[in-house]
Amino acid sequence: MEHYNMNLTLKVWRQKNTDAQGKFETYPVSGISSEMSFLEMFDVLNERLINEGKEPIAFDHDCREGICGACSMHINGRAHGPWAGTTTCQLHMRAFKDGDTVTVEPWRAGAFPVVKDLTVDRGAFDRIIEAGGYISVNTGNAQDANCLPINKDDADAAFAAAACIGCGACVAACKNSSAMLFLSAKVSQLSLLPQGQPERKSRALNMVAQMDKELFGSCTNTGACEAECPKEISLTNIARLNREFISAGFTYEK
Amino acid sequence: MNWSQFFNTSIGKKLLVGATGLFLCSFIIVHLAGNFQLLKNDEGAAFNAYAAFMGHNSLIQFIAWGLKIIIIVHAVIALQLTFRNRAARPVKYAINPGNQTSSWFSRQMAIMGSILLIFLIIHLADFWWKFHYGDVPTRTYEGGIEPLKDLYTIVNSAFKVEWLVALYVIGMIGLSFHLVHGFKSAFQTFGLNHVKYNGLINFVGVWLFGIAIPVGYAIIPLVIYFK
Repeated sequence: MEHYNMNLTLKVWRQKNTDAQGKFETYPVSGISSEMSFLEMFDVLNERLINEGKEPIAFDHDCREGICGACSMHINGRAHGPWAGTTTCQLHMRAFKDGDTVTVEPWRAGAFPVVKDLTVDRGAFDRIIEAGGYISVNTGNAQDANCLPINKDDADAAFAAAACIGCGACVAACKNSSAMLFLSAKVSQLSLLPQGQPERKSRALNMVAQMDKELFGSCTNTGACEAECPKEISLTNIARLNREFISAGFTYEK
Repeated sequence: MNWSQFFNTSIGKKLLVGATGLFLCSFIIVHLAGNFQLLKNDEGAAFNAYAAFMGHNSLIQFIAWGLKIIIIVHAVIALQLTFRNRAARPVKYAINPGNQTSSWFSRQMAIMGSILLIFLIIHLADFWWKFHYGDVPTRTYEGGIEPLKDLYTIVNSAFKVEWLVALYVIGMIGLSFHLVHGFKSAFQTFGLNHVKYNGLINFVGVWLFGIAIPVGYAIIPLVIYFK
C-alpha cells in the first residue's frame, strides 16, 4: 500500500478528573503519515501540546503490540476504531483519509469511571477476577504436561477464551455496558480444563454476582461485543457461561 | 446462592424473560390457529363455538390466567433489565456504531415489546373483556342446542374501523420485529448455542415467528376490513 501524508481534525474528549465535567476539544493535526499507528498520531499531537505549554491528552497504553489491552479509545463510534480484531495501537493511520474528522471518546460505562481524558478505571474487571477467576493450587513444580490428558478441541477452546486481554472493548461496544463477554472468557478458560473443575460452580456464581455488583448491564445478545473484540472472543463463550451459571445455580449447595 | 438470589442476578432474570418469552411463542401459534376460524364462511358458527369452549373449559381458563401472569412477569422483568441497562451508561457516546456491530432488531427489543404491551392491553379490553364481562348478543346456530355469545359479530364490526385495523397491523409489525431477535436470543440465554442447531433456531425465529405468524395474524383484520 502506498504511503501518504494526511491532515486530520481530531475531536477528543477532555476531562480533568473523575468528578469534573468533560467536553470535546478540537485539534487540527497535519503531516500525519499513513504508516503511523493511531497512538503515534496521538504522540505527535501531545508533543505539540507540550511544546505549546498545554496539558497533553491522557490515554492508556503499554505494550503497543496489541496484547496488553490498555489502549481504550472509542474512535468514530467504534471500540478501538474501524478495523476488526484490532487494538488501538495496531490501528494504523491508513484507515483514514486526508481531511477526515476523527472523534475519540473514552470507554463509556458507569462501571469504568473516567480517570482523566481518555483514561478509564477498569478496576471493576480486577474485582470480578478476584471473585473467582483463578484456581487454588499449591505452588511447586508444574507436573508433566502429559499427566493430564485434555481433549484437543477443549484445549483449543480454552486457549481461544484465554486470549481475552481484559481491554473492556466488549463493555464499551455493548449498548447495555455488559461485561458478559469478558466474564464468559474468564469462566470458559477454566471450566474447560481439569484444573478448573474443583471451583467450577462457586466460580460461575461468585463472578456473576460480582459483575452485577459492579453495575454492568445485562446481556441482550446483540453480538456487538464479539464484533468489536480485538481478540475475537466468540459468543459461544457467553452461552457456556450461561450453562455454567444455570447448572451451578441449580445444583450448588451453598 | 439461594433461589431468590439466583433469580435476582442479571442472568437469573434473563432466564425468566427467556422462558416466559418462549411460552408466549407457543401460545401465539395456538391463538392464531383458533383465530383463523374467523375467516370461515359459516357466519361464525365454528368461531363462536370455539370461543364458548375456550371461555368455559376450566383447564383452558386456568392456563389463560397463567398466561396473563406470564405476560406481566415477562414485561416487568424485561423493563427492569432495560432500565438497569440504560443506567449502566450514565454518559452516552457522541457517536454510536449503529448497524455496524449489531442488528437493528436486536437493539429494539424494549421498544417493540412496549408496542406489543400497549397493543395487548387494547386487544384484551376490546375482545376478552367484552366477551367475559360486557353485554354480548347471543345467537343460536342450526343444530346447536344453546345460544352462543356472538363474538364473531363483535370482531367483524371492530375490524370495519380503520384505526383499529391499523393498530392491529402495527402491533403485528411489533411482534415480528420483537421475535426476529427474541426467539433465538432466548436459546442463547439458556446456553443453547451449538453449530448443529443454530441454523434451525435462526430459521424458525425469522421465518416462522418473525414472518409467518405475524403475517397470519395481520391478514385477519385486513381480510375482514376489505370483505
